[in-house]
Amino acid sequence: MKQMEKILMKGNEALAEGALSAGCKAFFGYPITPSSEIAEYMARKFPLLGGTFVQAESELAAISMVYGGASTGARVMTASSGPGISLKSEGISFLAEAELPCLIVNISRGGPGLGGIQPAQSDYFQATRGGGHGDYNIMVLAPSSVQEMLDFAMEGFDLADQYRIPVMVMAEGTLGQMMEPITPRAKVTQFQAKPWATDGCKGRQPNVVNTLHLSPEFLEYRNKVLQEKYKLIKANEQKAETYRTEDADLVVVAFGLMSRIVRKAVMTAREQGYKVGLIRPVTLWPFPVDAVREAAAQAKLFLSVEISMGQMVEDVRLAVEGRVPVEFYGRIGMIPSPEEIGRQIIQLAQREGL
Amino acid sequence: MGKVVIFAGGFGSGKSEIALNQALLLARDFEDVILADLDLVNPYFASRDVRPILEDAGIRLVAPSGELSFGDVPSIPGEIIGLLRQENIMVIDVAGDEVGSAVLGYLSKYILARQGYEFFLVLNPYRPFAQEVQSVRDLRMQLEKAANLEFTGIVSNPNLLGETTADIVRRGHQQVADMAMSLSLPVANLTVTKEFYPEMAAKFGGQVREINLYLKPQWL
Repeated sequence: MKQMEKILMKGNEALAEGALSAGCKAFFGYPITPSSEIAEYMARKFPLLGGTFVQAESELAAISMVYGGASTGARVMTASSGPGISLKSEGISFLAEAELPCLIVNISRGGPGLGGIQPAQSDYFQATRGGGHGDYNIMVLAPSSVQEMLDFAMEGFDLADQYRIPVMVMAEGTLGQMMEPITPRAKVTQFQAKPWATDGCKGRQPNVVNTLHLSPEFLEYRNKVLQEKYKLIKANEQKAETYRTEDADLVVVAFGLMSRIVRKAVMTAREQGYKVGLIRPVTLWPFPVDAVREAAAQAKLFLSVEISMGQMVEDVRLAVEGRVPVEFYGRIGMIPSPEEIGRQIIQLAQREGL
Repeated sequence: MGKVVIFAGGFGSGKSEIALNQALLLARDFEDVILADLDLVNPYFASRDVRPILEDAGIRLVAPSGELSFGDVPSIPGEIIGLLRQENIMVIDVAGDEVGSAVLGYLSKYILARQGYEFFLVLNPYRPFAQEVQSVRDLRMQLEKAANLEFTGIVSNPNLLGETTADIVRRGHQQVADMAMSLSLPVANLTVTKEFYPEMAAKFGGQVREINLYLKPQWL
């Protein structure tokens, strides 16, 4: 039967489909709500497409398999939710130092501890500050729609190969579970050469992928190499969407699905005559410092809205460098409605006489 | 003991919305309508989110309760077997795929002991894995095996949510009708939202049911 143009997908399915379109050859994971549909989709599709699906015995095993798979130069991935990402953090540190490109997905739920399985954004620190040990960063993309789940999975693999860095796609549980119509994209057929891969050394010196550096000088050298790369990524890859920030007195910052809800609240506040704008960070690392700084030049107040107890707000404060006050509003375990956000915005605007 | 109407299908085929609408429709004509939300796989977009709407209509909701209603553990509401043995009309909504229908296997002997049951396979041909006859055939087999019940019909639910057009409905429904033919199952209903009801009712007659989307978040 002929494939229809648009297809109705859950966010988790779209992400998996995007990974397959990007040429992902293997998935290693351990199921956890609300991310499990990614693994299920891969398990159904790989036998037809000729890839490898492994449900590992643990998260630690899964991320180590990602290390092995990525070393061969193949596009490989894993997916989990907060508690599982915590377990994988040791391996992510290894992947970062070994400069192995891969896709890591966090369909987030509320913590700390086992927490709940309702949507959250409270893994922001874990994602953007490294999470594991050592001086490293990974790139973090935050989709806001089911279509972007697919698009960012594809873009994530490209960025991972380009910079030899693990890339994380992080989305609230609701975005993984909800459905929207999406347009599938053509399969990627051109890939970057990976001369560093351990893919057989007939006729050349063997490649080695290793993260143990006992010589203090070499360890420091490796750290400098990574920092140079991170500097380049910060300069080139910051991405944000802005909405009516040009003349905004109050700039709201929100990412992911939350940014769509905030956008509705901003529209309502505008209709009531308040000069409000929105910055939606698309990359959480690198944080879009430039977009925030630009808006801070004329804004009188910032408000960070998150499904957490206040994490990204620290990056907003670092970016505005004390020029403007930065307020915070957050919930956890539930998604605030546009009306609830709207009341916060208007209350703040009135308090500050904006 | 009255009838039982059960909706099963793939993940995201529209089962929960259709079960909710069916319960509300039955509650117009009957007392003792029960909606059993047996989505034990995960609690996102489940009937228990709209408990007040059901209570206003006089429908008794049987669902994982207390903090389990936010969980993903297989907690079967304790009263379900007792209720299946009493006089009432019951609509059952299960989670997707064979893992979702497994709970029916456990309940099947009580379901089979009632006056009659209707067991519907909900199909939206715009969902992944519902586009080819073979995968729908596999799904049917897996669900019937897990549920230990045989399907009595198909509910055709062709849509792309907010991007649905009359053409999307017509083409999708045709596809479902073709699949139904090769599965030798009757199409019991075509479900459409309000804006498409008049046109589809004129074209397809009494099998068309208007449904309201209760579980879609207001902010989408």
